[in-house]
Amino acid sequence: MLGNQIQGGLGTSGALSHAYVQHPPLRCDIPDTQGLFYDDANKFLIAPTADRILYWKTILPTPSGPPNSDPVNEGPVLSVRYSLDHKVIGIQRSRHEIEFRNRETGETCSKKCRADSETVLGFFWTDCPTCDVILVKTSGLDLLAYEPQPHAFHLVESKKFNVSWYLYTHESRLILLASGMQCTMFTGYQFSAGGIVKIPKFEMMMSKSEANNKPVLAADDVYIVTVYGRIYCLQLDRVSMSLNLYRFYRDAVVQQCTLPTYSSRIAVSAVDNIIMVHQIDAKVVMLYDVSLDSYAPVSAPLPLLLRGLPINSRQVSQTADSQSSAYGGTIYGEGWNFLIPDLICDAENGLLWKLHLDLAAIAASSSDAPSILEFLQRRKSDPSMVKTLCLAIVRTIILERRSVPTVAKAMDVVLDSYTRLMKMGGAFPGVRRIHEQNQQSGSQPIDGSHVVSQESSPGTTVSPAVNPDHGSEAVDIYVQSNPGVEHTIDRGLLNINISSDSVDNTSDAVDKRQQAVGEASRPLSSGTMTQHGQHAGTVAISPIEMFQSVFTLVEDEMMGDPAYLIAVIIEFLRSVSKAGLKAPHNLYVMTATLLARSNRYAEIALFVSNKILEPCKELAMQLMELGLQHPPTRKLGMDMLRERGLHHDYVTAMLQDGYYLEALRYARKYKVITVQPALFLEKALAKNSAHNLAAVLSFFCEFTPSFKATSDFVRYRHILSEMV
Amino acid sequence: MGLSSAATGDGVQLCVFDLQRGQQEGQELDKILYFYPADCPILLQLSVIGLCEGIVTFTRIFSPEEDCEVIESEKHSHVFYQAETDIWMVLVVEKNKENELTWRCGALQGILKEAHSLFAMFHGPIRTLLHKQPSAELARGHLRTFLTDYLSDFNVGKKLQFPTYRDSLKERGTVQMLTVSREVALDVQSLATVLGSCLGNVTCQSLVLFEDLLVSTTLPPDDTLNLYTYAVLRLTPRALYSNASSWSYLRKGTSVSAGQTSSSSNGTTAGERPLLREKLSKGKDGFVAADFTATEARCAVPSTPILWFQQADECMHLCIYQHKSLTILLLVPASSVINGEEGITHVKKAMLENASQKIVTVEQKLTRGWGGENAYHVSGYRYLLVDPERRVSRASPPGKVTTLAKDSLLALNMLRQEVDLEKSRYKRGDPCHDKDFEVCIRTKNNAWVIAKISQGRELYMALEKGGETLLYASTAVEKFSNRYCEGAFSTD
Repeated sequence: MLGNQIQGGLGTSGALSHAYVQHPPLRCDIPDTQGLFYDDANKFLIAPTADRILYWKTILPTPSGPPNSDPVNEGPVLSVRYSLDHKVIGIQRSRHEIEFRNRETGETCSKKCRADSETVLGFFWTDCPTCDVILVKTSGLDLLAYEPQPHAFHLVESKKFNVSWYLYTHESRLILLASGMQCTMFTGYQFSAGGIVKIPKFEMMMSKSEANNKPVLAADDVYIVTVYGRIYCLQLDRVSMSLNLYRFYRDAVVQQCTLPTYSSRIAVSAVDNIIMVHQIDAKVVMLYDVSLDSYAPVSAPLPLLLRGLPINSRQVSQTADSQSSAYGGTIYGEGWNFLIPDLICDAENGLLWKLHLDLAAIAASSSDAPSILEFLQRRKSDPSMVKTLCLAIVRTIILERRSVPTVAKAMDVVLDSYTRLMKMGGAFPGVRRIHEQNQQSGSQPIDGSHVVSQESSPGTTVSPAVNPDHGSEAVDIYVQSNPGVEHTIDRGLLNINISSDSVDNTSDAVDKRQQAVGEASRPLSSGTMTQHGQHAGTVAISPIEMFQSVFTLVEDEMMGDPAYLIAVIIEFLRSVSKAGLKAPHNLYVMTATLLARSNRYAEIALFVSNKILEPCKELAMQLMELGLQHPPTRKLGMDMLRERGLHHDYVTAMLQDGYYLEALRYARKYKVITVQPALFLEKALAKNSAHNLAAVLSFFCEFTPSFKATSDFVRYRHILSEMV
Repeated sequence: MGLSSAATGDGVQLCVFDLQRGQQEGQELDKILYFYPADCPILLQLSVIGLCEGIVTFTRIFSPEEDCEVIESEKHSHVFYQAETDIWMVLVVEKNKENELTWRCGALQGILKEAHSLFAMFHGPIRTLLHKQPSAELARGHLRTFLTDYLSDFNVGKKLQFPTYRDSLKERGTVQMLTVSREVALDVQSLATVLGSCLGNVTCQSLVLFEDLLVSTTLPPDDTLNLYTYAVLRLTPRALYSNASSWSYLRKGTSVSAGQTSSSSNGTTAGERPLLREKLSKGKDGFVAADFTATEARCAVPSTPILWFQQADECMHLCIYQHKSLTILLLVPASSVINGEEGITHVKKAMLENASQKIVTVEQKLTRGWGGENAYHVSGYRYLLVDPERRVSRASPPGKVTTLAKDSLLALNMLRQEVDLEKSRYKRGDPCHDKDFEVCIRTKNNAWVIAKISQGRELYMALEKGGETLLYASTAVEKFSNRYCEGAFSTD
């Protein structure tokens, strides 16, 4: 119910799913290209042709536009990686040679290895201070430094050991090098701007199927995942059909848990710090949120949905078949490659999809409000959506009259998150409008006319599995990577920091690095705009927003049960005070009104006296208003005015109640000259006592020297003379 | 005979009579609902009541709206209180030469008022009892046991000792509040919410006390006051302690009247003697209950008293839970408890399940913030602060008040008497408006005795060893007001 309310605007279908890809995809099916590559450091999707390199910047707002292109020499292409400053293109030409081309000057140079004793498994660019390129060979690592003049690379250091295959993601800056008979022995390095960190050697666990049959771990079965600035590694154990989850610390690699799998083929993505395990055979996704070291799935396994198809978009439930006919491919089809962190490249059809979480659906799938709020507050992909959802959840649980402790816990979550986010410096930079962009380009043809078969060159697609040319599993280089939250990854590693949400905390990051972060490390979203808006940019819900979007909205509907709402407000005030925040004054006004409506005047007095309702002018005025039916409450309001030093209002209120002599004394004591003498005189006259009128007149003659010149003086003196 | 022998010595008489009864000649005895001392000869009882009735009737000629409050005769003071329509309570105290003006009429009337309010809370209005049983046996039985138990609190040695000038910095009929920080107040309120939900759909009411001070209440002021008064008399840890320690004394002192009860009142079970000290104790489960049922052989479960709340107009079961210094009075609407004691047991269980953690936390926080029995002492001042509208007062700790000289206290007592008169005089003139006034008196022993009434709130203080000028006195009041009363007494 909740989900549907909120999803409405997104044109969602009602099909059950917690993750989806949004139509239209980026089309990258250009004729005559030799496969597709993914440069995870720059987030480029690269399609080489005979003499050019075509690439799409997948983080740009218009990923659907025509590709950029760079001329290159002809020749075979095994992989392509742009340098981090985009000045140099590195192209692996063969198992022994990598060519580097300066994009400005067109100069080229190449690095070769000894053809007899070693092969190049791959290479990548790094922002490590001592080197620029790491060359991964079967005999170890070569650390190369680049010199623009005269466009050459020189060897800085080489690390020697046997490597069967390797795994690297730019987002983690971590390289894992597999060795051993079963390829289960791992050496790891992190090449980050902070320097090089060697991870202690470790071994991954493999179950034995039978005695003497030792399975070999393949590169396909290991995934580096970066979530919450922590680095994890998932390893598929095909024999026991389970996934081992390891976490990397600076001085240790610790197995965290084992997750079940329901498919012999799996793939892993990370979307908004959620680990998505695609059970490809079963065609379902499982979501894990490891932030609190809980390894239970976030929700039930459900299929991946294709959203936003122009045709049939109203159809409630689309089967995989009808979806495939509409876009010309299959969900979890053969050609699907999962690019780190959250992209899917359909190599068969030349389409690039971005994975999304359906937060509304996830929210709707659980009735445990506090934990779902915690979950949502950790999400960063769509702050305004998260905010809307959270507010709706809080409203709903109040309207459903869930137990007060539950509601209290939920509000605690919201406010804790608010304080934490505010402490971290307010807004998040990564505000994204995911859906706008896709809707803009919604008119793109979907007839599939551009679907040029890629099967002709399977060996050069991004698919690591279908790459017979490259021997071993070196193709993995292409697949992994995404700069994301790199600086905190360092922190996680260097400090063995288990803190969860420090993704945006740049406290100890190097300046240079911060810059890099600012530009490149923002989590990739479906190639749409990022904004720096303070308010739109954060999932944090302030007490004022809680008041405006929760309490004022539920107030009318809660009229039948003000006691419950009052209890909820008290819990809210408690959360607010625990978090060291200030509650909006209007909430006090509302509380007093609710109490008065239930005839609980004694509690108003109690709450005012022990400052549960903090003194403020708004409340004072409301108490005076409510006090028209209940004089002691009016007195509370007057006292509050006095205590707040609101002398003018206090004097006016006393006058209204007919205490004109007291008001005069007070005005004299606190030099209140803003209240019109005529008001006092009127009151005195109303008493019909010449004595009092004379007293007030003479008071003003002394108190305000100019009074004698006013018409009031003349008028009332005349009246007085007639009275006497 | 414990009390009766005392009675002859102190000359105190307390009677309750109904002017709607016994109006035929020869049936005068029917008017009497209660008379203390019980062994007072009937003729004397009749003559006291006859005098009182005569005065009530006589004064009504002049003052049909306002009741007669007191008559001072050469040897006695008669203090009147019309508790319910035509049901009068009269306290007769004997004067002797030296203790003239040593008590204050208002304070004595406060006793009558308190006794009646408590009685009505436990047994309902006297008139209702009379309607229930026109022969008045029920009402008499209840009054006898209840008032006897109530008066036992004033037993000093063998005499009944009523408040004197020494108590002029005390105000009966008010609640003393504990001042707590906002954070703790929110915690307490959160606890009150949990307590309120112990019954599920129907909201329970609650009072929370720390030591002898009120922390929170969900009841209206009058009901809060009655229950608070009862709690401080019998239920708080200090009261329970003195229940236990005074046990043997009470056995000696008042066992006779208790004996009278069980023999003479048919239908009056021990459960209806809520003021009987020796029966109340704290059980292992933390609940305070009267374990009288052991003797009554009704059942092993102690019955929970049902109280009638006049302002809330509701009957509620009272469950008393105590954790260290914290006393929680949980009130369960009687109409919502279907199966009696079993239902109450259920509520208690729910309370322990839901609120235990919060109770412990709140008690810890309150203890941490608690300044001890001298917490509200302000050095140099002996004061009493009363807010009659909210029925709240705060005063210098009794231990500090005793340091005042007798002259200061006598002067203060007299001043209060005057202020009481002035207040009631002004109230008759203009009931809706508060009148501010201030009196500073220099006493024989060169102390200042001050009364200041502002916006309906009252401040009384005695300053010894102060300056000589009036300016000194008024500055002292101003300082006190600004620092401790948020400026309530410094508006002019």
